[in-house]
Amino acid sequence: MDKWIKSTVLIVLLIILSSCQDMIEVEKESFVIAIGMDVTDQEGIYEFTFQIANPNIASPMTADPNGAPDEILTVLGADIMTAKDKADAIVTKRISLDHTAIFVISEELARSGDLLRVIQPGTRTSHMRHDIQIIVSKEKAETFLNNNNPIFEQKPYKYFQYKITQTKETGIIPYADLHRLLQITEGDADLFLAIYATTIHDEEEIEKSEDQYLAGELLQKGGDKTQFMGSAVFKNGKMIDLLTAQETRIANLLDRTVPLNNILVTYTDPIKPEFYISGNYIQTKNPDIKIDYDAKANHATIDVTVLFEFEILAIPSLISYAENNEHKEILEKHLVETNTQLAKKFIEKTQEEYRSDPFYWSLYIRKYFKDVPSYEKADWHNNIYPNAEVNIKYELKRLQFGKTMSDTNLSEVRD
Amino acid sequence: MLRKKQTKNNHNQISSNLVENIDKIKNDFSYQINNDFSFRMLTAKFNQKDICLCYYASLVNSDKIEQSIIKPLLEQDGESIANIVTVESVKVLTDCDEINQNVTSGKVILFMEDHSQAYSIDVSQFEHREVSQSENESVVRGPKEAFTESIHVNISLIRKRIRNQHLVSEVLHVGKRSKQDVQLLYIENIANDQLLENIRSRINAITADSVQNVELLEQYIEERPLSIFPTILYTERPDNACTYINRGHVVLLMESSAACLIVPINFWAFFHNIEDRYSRVMFSNFARAIRFLALFLTTMVSALYVALANFHTEMIPLDLLLAIASARDRVPFPLLLEVLLMEVAFELIREAGIRIPNPLGPTIGIVGALILGQAAVEANIISPIIVIISALSGLTSFVISDPSFNFTVRITRFIFIFAASLFGIYSLIICFVMWLMYAISLKSFGVPYFAPLAPSYQSNKNIYFRKPLRNEKWRPKYLLPKDMKMLKK
Amino acid sequence: MRINTKLTTYEICALTIIFIGIKLTDTTPTLLSNSTQNAFWYIPLISFIVMFPFFLITLYLLNKYKADHLVDLLQILLGKTLGKALAFFIFIFSFFLSAFDFRSYVNQIKLLYFDKSSITIIFALLIFISIFGAIRGIKVIGYTARVFFPLFQFSLVLLIILVYPSLVFERIYPIFGSGLSNVMYEGIFKGSFFSSFILLMMILPVARKPENFYKGTIMGLIISVLQIVFLFLIYATFFDYKSIERVPYPFHDVALYIDLGSFFTNIETFFMTFWLFAVFIRFILLLYLNTWLFGATFDIDNFELLILPMGFLIMVIGLIPDNIIVNEFVYRNHLLNLNTIFLFIVPVILLICHFFKRKKV
Repeated sequence: MDKWIKSTVLIVLLIILSSCQDMIEVEKESFVIAIGMDVTDQEGIYEFTFQIANPNIASPMTADPNGAPDEILTVLGADIMTAKDKADAIVTKRISLDHTAIFVISEELARSGDLLRVIQPGTRTSHMRHDIQIIVSKEKAETFLNNNNPIFEQKPYKYFQYKITQTKETGIIPYADLHRLLQITEGDADLFLAIYATTIHDEEEIEKSEDQYLAGELLQKGGDKTQFMGSAVFKNGKMIDLLTAQETRIANLLDRTVPLNNILVTYTDPIKPEFYISGNYIQTKNPDIKIDYDAKANHATIDVTVLFEFEILAIPSLISYAENNEHKEILEKHLVETNTQLAKKFIEKTQEEYRSDPFYWSLYIRKYFKDVPSYEKADWHNNIYPNAEVNIKYELKRLQFGKTMSDTNLSEVRD
Repeated sequence: MLRKKQTKNNHNQISSNLVENIDKIKNDFSYQINNDFSFRMLTAKFNQKDICLCYYASLVNSDKIEQSIIKPLLEQDGESIANIVTVESVKVLTDCDEINQNVTSGKVILFMEDHSQAYSIDVSQFEHREVSQSENESVVRGPKEAFTESIHVNISLIRKRIRNQHLVSEVLHVGKRSKQDVQLLYIENIANDQLLENIRSRINAITADSVQNVELLEQYIEERPLSIFPTILYTERPDNACTYINRGHVVLLMESSAACLIVPINFWAFFHNIEDRYSRVMFSNFARAIRFLALFLTTMVSALYVALANFHTEMIPLDLLLAIASARDRVPFPLLLEVLLMEVAFELIREAGIRIPNPLGPTIGIVGALILGQAAVEANIISPIIVIISALSGLTSFVISDPSFNFTVRITRFIFIFAASLFGIYSLIICFVMWLMYAISLKSFGVPYFAPLAPSYQSNKNIYFRKPLRNEKWRPKYLLPKDMKMLKK
Repeated sequence: MRINTKLTTYEICALTIIFIGIKLTDTTPTLLSNSTQNAFWYIPLISFIVMFPFFLITLYLLNKYKADHLVDLLQILLGKTLGKALAFFIFIFSFFLSAFDFRSYVNQIKLLYFDKSSITIIFALLIFISIFGAIRGIKVIGYTARVFFPLFQFSLVLLIILVYPSLVFERIYPIFGSGLSNVMYEGIFKGSFFSSFILLMMILPVARKPENFYKGTIMGLIISVLQIVFLFLIYATFFDYKSIERVPYPFHDVALYIDLGSFFTNIETFFMTFWLFAVFIRFILLLYLNTWLFGATFDIDNFELLILPMGFLIMVIGLIPDNIIVNEFVYRNHLLNLNTIFLFIVPVILLICHFFKRKKV
């Protein structure tokens, strides 16, 4: 009997003691919200910046009004895991990457083509989630994270979450999480767009229409310094160019895997070109993409039809487009033409300069191939798309005018 | 009523000599010391013989003795005792053992000279509480009567609800030194014969000195005394008992027990409430859904908290996680110890609350709430989140109305907390699967514990939710009743 | 009281679905996509179509000879010694395959949730629950499967609903993956996915009526194949063909990615709970059936006493491979290929013997 008791106790103790290795008290863990990466002079060694949330701001009882909302720490390392280890030695609590929301890399690092090398731990461990957003910053990532100073939000994790969701809805930044990066980069057939952001503003005043800005160019006085706008273009894991907010919007709207369909745009007024018309551009259905593929010549003809609706919100020129049928027709034609022109220009740019498409259109050519080796031999990336004939057509389905029937007649109001 | 009983025991025979009989009975009952035991000698008018009445003064109705036994014997004429004594129950006894049993049951023994038989006349009057409201199983909608400590009253409460000539109440005796009666109630053309045999053999196999009431009887006849799951239902409501009798179960009653036992029983009987049948279908299904949620919460919420906060912090949203971390920063204990501390404190308050004398009741409520809750949090002994969690798990355990199953649930909660502290969700699920498989493999009097869900049988499918009463056609087949249909065509 | 506590169609169907259907949560897609790239999603369908006639043959023979279970049938048709030898071979194959199966799932659990704990302890816990459950008996396992089955299906449906917006259906093209010949080869030779079905044929005596067993297993097989194909389709459209070769556990990866609104962003532990239920039931059943097969081969009546040593032996064998790569691509791959050949041959041999017997009589 004694023997049984002793051996049972030993076994139970064994089980209890061995699990202590994975058990960690909540207050002994610290949570990283953002990771930043920069190049250093040494090859293979990078600078990692961790933004760690301060738990004490979370509860009103223990909040210290002068306390910092987060702690920002920079260490050197060869990859994320070594850097995390080093940071563990500095920070009092064990670092956990499970709640990281964004991954910032500096433009310098992105252009060097090392993105895939450094992002690789994300696939090997289960600690980096695949819905981390990839952000490219104009300045060093360390500066970006340090300059970030949200006004309303006390909690930095909420700040990033809100900001990215908000700007995604306006379409000026692309959908860029780690999952999409891995699919597109490993799929080796399209361009990946990462979010472009900065905290340093350009000094000169540049006059452009609403969405032709890049991050940092938007003139603002006061408010939050960080600007998320535009995208960074990656081909095969290396950054090649930047897209303005307008080009990003076109890319988002023509891509069927991106669920964007309602944005506010501004066009020049067709009758009085010194004024602008703004309204809601609504795409209720995904663009219809038909590819005509000639297997022998390896040539594709891509016909894209985009159906959209437009709801006018502001006509500062006060011309009555609603009531006058002639004016309405002019407006409709102008809308279709402007959209087609912009899209055409952008597609030509992608075909000639980038030689690949950011719209994930390689999906539609796939059904013409019986198996993967022949698809890879045809090479959408380098052979098919740059030589393809792209015809893009916009069709306005419906024109809506908002609440009022007609605008005030300026000449009547002014004596 | 006249009944004859024949026995073959010779040295137990009653002698014809009156004095011998009286001496024997005085000896048996320690007449010199026993103040209670009374004698009445008289001479009957009808045959001029000496008659002796023996009885316990505390157990009999003395008015009845005077009016219905002594008065007729002294005044009336007739041929036999049966025609003179006006009490409704007169038996003839030939065995001394039976005499002792009858006297202790409150009957009057009548010895007559030159008669080798004794008469036992039932004038018993046991003091008991009157029929009152059920304290532990209260319902909002439905009858509120509860059993009392008298078996006649209890049987009448049941019989008035089941007016069926096939409802049988069978008597068995338990106890070697102090023989108590156990009454089995069942509908004899529905209940299964083998089940009854099983019950009878178990009761007859009890070799204890005395089994006072039904709570002790339960522990003698159950199959696994060390298991944490109860296999016999204990209820103090007659309407509850009648529902089960109608389905084919057997009810056990004893004198001086204000409750009854129902066998055989399965897990769902502990989970369902009698009020489910009294409310309309949608209301009672809603109540059942809430009870399910309560069962889940009370067993799992503390264990899940330990598992998630210690092993799987990635599951908790960051907001909540930072709140927990900042609250726990100031607490000196590890999380597991905090949880155990609060759970044990809650159990202590609960046990104390049952025994507290009435005037102090509200004071304890205030003391408990203030001291444990508010002050402990402010003194940073525990974090506010654990107060909410343990209050939630403690209060939801009250939704389980059955007292035995309540203990099962509370013990299970502690087992799960310990399991979760080993390997998080992995060991918690292992423990849960072990618990469930153990419960599924139990049998109560031959009926599987999770019937009709686990082995599936034809029944009313009254498992998670119930059907409208009009659609209930079948008796549960796992009881193997003689008549499956509930409707007589 | 003699109540019939044996298993009904529903319970056998639930057991089959959990037993076979859980393949959609382990490394099978990775294994398949290594050779067939993005055509792996319909490979189970091909394997099923190829293997199904062989299963039907065995079931038909079981019915014809009113055999108790598989080993009994082997003994009737092939004679005592040859039947026992064949049964022993089947036992050896499935025993080793089970051990590596155990190891595969223990790897999953360790990789996802327990970084620092040692693999021995996690394996030991899994063996412990398998032994405990197996000792309870096959009927209790059936009842538990019945209780858990709706929950498991519910979690799968929830997973599908939550991942649906992220799927891109055009990724299933090119339709033939790495080439038609590759696809056909894999389809035919990976029929041993359903090799555990052979073990399920031992359950025949526990069913209430033999028809329950036949209906339950065939229905369960068809439903689980459909589920596997559907979930594989989801993996194929969620991960592109290049990425899925690198992802060892697609089920958990999908669970890591999806979120429930903007508050609950990391809900993979929720799916892990239901997955663990199904895994435990599967391994309890696996251990029990292996021991039963062993007991029936050597005419041991109280084979339940052998469960403990069997479990321990499985743990020892399962700890042999060093890591996932060796385990999956070396041991399991070869064993699965060999096992398929076996599965083709056995029913054919039985059919031939059946014809011989008919001729004799």
